[in-house]
Parts: sequence; structure tokens; C-alpha cells
Amino acid sequence: MAFMQCNFFSPVLNFNTNINVFIPTPNSDEILNNKKSDYFQEGVKFQVLYLLHGAYGDYSDWLRLTSIEKYAQNHKIAVVMPSASNSFYQNMYKGSEYLTFMNEELPKFVQSIFPVSEKREDTFVAGLSMGGYGAVKLAFEKPEQFAACVSLSGAIDLISVAKQAREGEFASPFLWNSIFENPDNIEGTDADLFALAKKKIALGHKLPKVFQTVGTEDFIYEANVSAKEKMENIGVDLTYEEYPGIHDWDFWDTYIQRALDWLPLKNDSVEVD
Amino acid sequence: MAHIQLNFYSQSMQRNEDVIIFLPTVSADDYLEGSDIHYGTKNAKYQVLYLLHGSYGDCTDWSRFTGVERYAQDKTLAVVMPSGENSNYLNMAYGENYETYLTEELPAFLTKIFPISKKREDTFIAGLSMGGFGSLHSALKKPELYGYVASLSGALDLQLLSNGTEAHTTKMSKSFRKAIFEDSNRITDSDADLLHLLENNIADKKELPRIFMACGTEDFIYPTNENFYKKAQEMGVAIEYLRAPGVHNWDFWDAHIKDVLDWLPCRHDLVIE
Repeated sequence: MAFMQCNFFSPVLNFNTNINVFIPTPNSDEILNNKKSDYFQEGVKFQVLYLLHGAYGDYSDWLRLTSIEKYAQNHKIAVVMPSASNSFYQNMYKGSEYLTFMNEELPKFVQSIFPVSEKREDTFVAGLSMGGYGAVKLAFEKPEQFAACVSLSGAIDLISVAKQAREGEFASPFLWNSIFENPDNIEGTDADLFALAKKKIALGHKLPKVFQTVGTEDFIYEANVSAKEKMENIGVDLTYEEYPGIHDWDFWDTYIQRALDWLPLKNDSVEVD
Repeated sequence: MAHIQLNFYSQSMQRNEDVIIFLPTVSADDYLEGSDIHYGTKNAKYQVLYLLHGSYGDCTDWSRFTGVERYAQDKTLAVVMPSGENSNYLNMAYGENYETYLTEELPAFLTKIFPISKKREDTFIAGLSMGGFGSLHSALKKPELYGYVASLSGALDLQLLSNGTEAHTTKMSKSFRKAIFEDSNRITDSDADLLHLLENNIADKKELPRIFMACGTEDFIYPTNENFYKKAQEMGVAIEYLRAPGVHNWDFWDAHIKDVLDWLPCRHDLVIE
């Protein structure tokens, strides 16, 4: 993998932001273990996974706290890790436009600089906790852009998670009144992923496939079970799996591997100009 | 500018290498004042300057001690800053293959990952001190690759340096010098002798890159630069030579890298192919 830390000015956010990027290139493992290394050729592009952090985190989390580089190398997929502060990947009512950044500016920027495919079938988004919500949110907002999305321990059922958080059932850094104009009335808005899914289906969109997983001892487990039922009722193409585990990096490091196995990956570079 | 810290496995170095890269993207100034530059245009490429550090330095030097990011943004020029340790950017007799890395692997690798022009007329190389030598050495070894080369306060006579008794020549570890050359008494007329390379290129009727040199008149390396210029003139080689007040320090290099950028044929835009 070529590992790149990239800092650039975002006209949407109005400030400089960092992303970490992995591009599959030949590495020592391929030499030592006689693995395939002919994928990095002139004009190639790669499938790409946008990988989102959770609350309290930033673009460096996945790199530091998991072995995502190794897993992505094995699958020959590019990985892009942006920062969204504690915005819940929204265009904040009082704050920055993270949704527009993530879904409009970032893909264009990444495609203009790095060798990643622009095709829907090659573009995926995954995340943990707040980023699990973010992954489904980005994918449902732009069903024409993503083939699939992955939520690990995600706050997909935002309304019940927000209620739990605001009642102090677990600690959270979210400034609800900054993120939403009316945090008591999220239901039925585009921040409500079930309402968003229904709306997009009614408009005739084919929603991206969803992989949802959660630890059975996680404080967000019940909200995931309810989210699963709601998505199934709506007709989302959902794969749901639960495993023993809590809301921690051991879980995410393990099940991001399962997610990569589930995603429709070609395990090779995909395009030659 | 996108400021990119790249780390990748280098086949010619047989280890991971760090590279700092600037790619022109929308800046805050562009955002505030508007810009006609074709950022992100499909198939558009950047003109590129490979920019080399001096002895005792690494790939971070230029961005830490000068404003080159700002100057390159004004020219819409990509800048690539590799690390050369203290190798003089040569294939060491007992060590790493820096010349192969810099003049073969790195351009091939970077033009696959980034939208960087491969054309000779868009490919430039410059450096300070040891990097001034490295720039001229690379350009004279591969005149078909680089259209323009610039040396600031270049260490242009390695034989003289190797034989030297002044502090600046003796501080370098002897064991490291021994690793670079098979025989450090026989640099003259070898491939590490720039005047010898100039002669060879002229004899072979190769098209030479355009050459720019600058040196501080109070710099300890000024006599070496004067001598190189005089000898090159005697061979009929055209060199743009700037003598300016100054010593061997970052004030000089920060001021005169601007002259280098002004001298380069920058298009102030991406190269639309």
C-alpha cells in the first residue's frame, strides 16, 4: 500500500482538512510470500472504500486502531478516511456542511488526484458508531454513487440513539442543537434513515445494499435490532449479523474484515484507461 | 495545495520511503478571489518539480524551512520532495540505489498514482547543496526525462569535497563517504563527475536540459560554483547563472527558489491533454 496523509483546503468546509488514503501498491509481503503483485499498472484504477470514524474521532482512527491497511491490501481496494468532527455527518444547523463535503466535494477531490474508480459498482462506504450511521446516510442520500454501505455498531436508529444519549444512558459529545434545527423532531426528516430510505425508494432509486453488524453486549445493540426490523420492513437489501462484543476497536478491527469479505470486491485493480 | 505525505514500499530501495508532495488544488485564495485554473479537469496533468534536500536533511526540509508550497501554488506546479539521506542521490557502491530510485522508480510510480505529466517539457528537477549536485547529476544522466534543472548552492565537485579539509567537508561521517564511492580518490572522470557527464552528453549529441544555477557570493561553496560555470562555458554549455549576496543557508534558498520557479516555463494551469 501507498499510505498518504493529505491536507487540503475544502471550499465546502471553509477550512483545511486531512484525509488518510491507501492505494494498493506492491509491498514487502507480496515479495516475501510470492503473492500477486501485477495489479499496479499504468492507467489502473481501484475500487474505493470511504471509511468513517465515530464520535470523538478523526481521519487517523482507523489507521491507528485497526489493521485496515493489511486487510485492504489483501483485497486490493483503495481506502479514504476523512474527518467529520462530531457532526453526525450532517450539514449542521449551526456548523459546517459535512454531508455536502462527504458526498460532493470529497469524491470529486479524491477522483481528481488518486487512481480510484468513479463507478457505482466500485464505490463503497463504511463506518463505525456515528460513522456507521454516516455510511448509511451517505449511501441513501446518493444511491447512484454507492453500490453498498456498511454499519459497524452504527447509530442507524438515530432517533432512539439520540434519545438514549440525551437521557444520559451513555456519554456523547454531540451538540444536538447545533447539529439539528429541531433535535426533538428528527423523525420523518432526511436525518431519519428510515424516512430517507422510503423517500428514495418512492422516487424510484435502487438503494445500495447494506451490511449491518453489532456486538450483542454493546449499549447500542437494542437500537440496532430495531433498526434491522425497520429496514427489513421498508425492503432494504440488508445483511444483518450479530456477534459477541461491545462498542470497541476489538470489535471493529475484527468485523471490518467480515465487511470486506461481504462487499462485492474484485480483489484486483479494475480499470485501465 | 494538497499537501501529501506519502509512504510506500520502494522496490529499488528495498524498504519503505517517505515523500512529501504538493498538488495544486483550490486554495483559500482561489476560493475568496476566484480562479480560472482547471483544477480537477479530467485527464489534466500537473507540471512537476522534483525538489531535493541537502546533506543532513530529508524530505521534510523544503516545506519546513521555506515558503515553496505558496510559491508553487502561484505557479500551479506540483512539487515532489523525496529523501536522499546523504547519498548525493547516487547509486551507492555499498548502500542503497538512490539514483535508480529518484530517476526511474519514483517518476514511474508517481505518474501512475497522481495526475503528473510525463512530458520532458513539464518535468523539472532542482535542489540545494547536495541536492543541487543531485539535480544536475540526475538531469545529466537522464537528459531525456528532465527538460529543466536548477542548482542552488550546489555541491558540484564531489572530488574537491571528498578531499576537503574544511569543517563542512569533514563533518560528514567517513564511513558514509566510503559507502558511496568504490574509491573516493577517483571521482573525477567518473559518473559522479558533472563536467564529465556534460562532456559525454555533448559527445553523444544529446539534447541537454536547460540549466539554472544560483550561489551566494559569501558561500563557502561559491568558488566551486564559479569553477563549474567557467568549465561549462568553455564547453559551450548555456547556463543561466545567478550570483547573489548570501551564504549557505535557508534564507538564500527560500529567496532563490522563487527565482528558479520564475525561470521555469510554468503554465500557471494544469496541462490539458
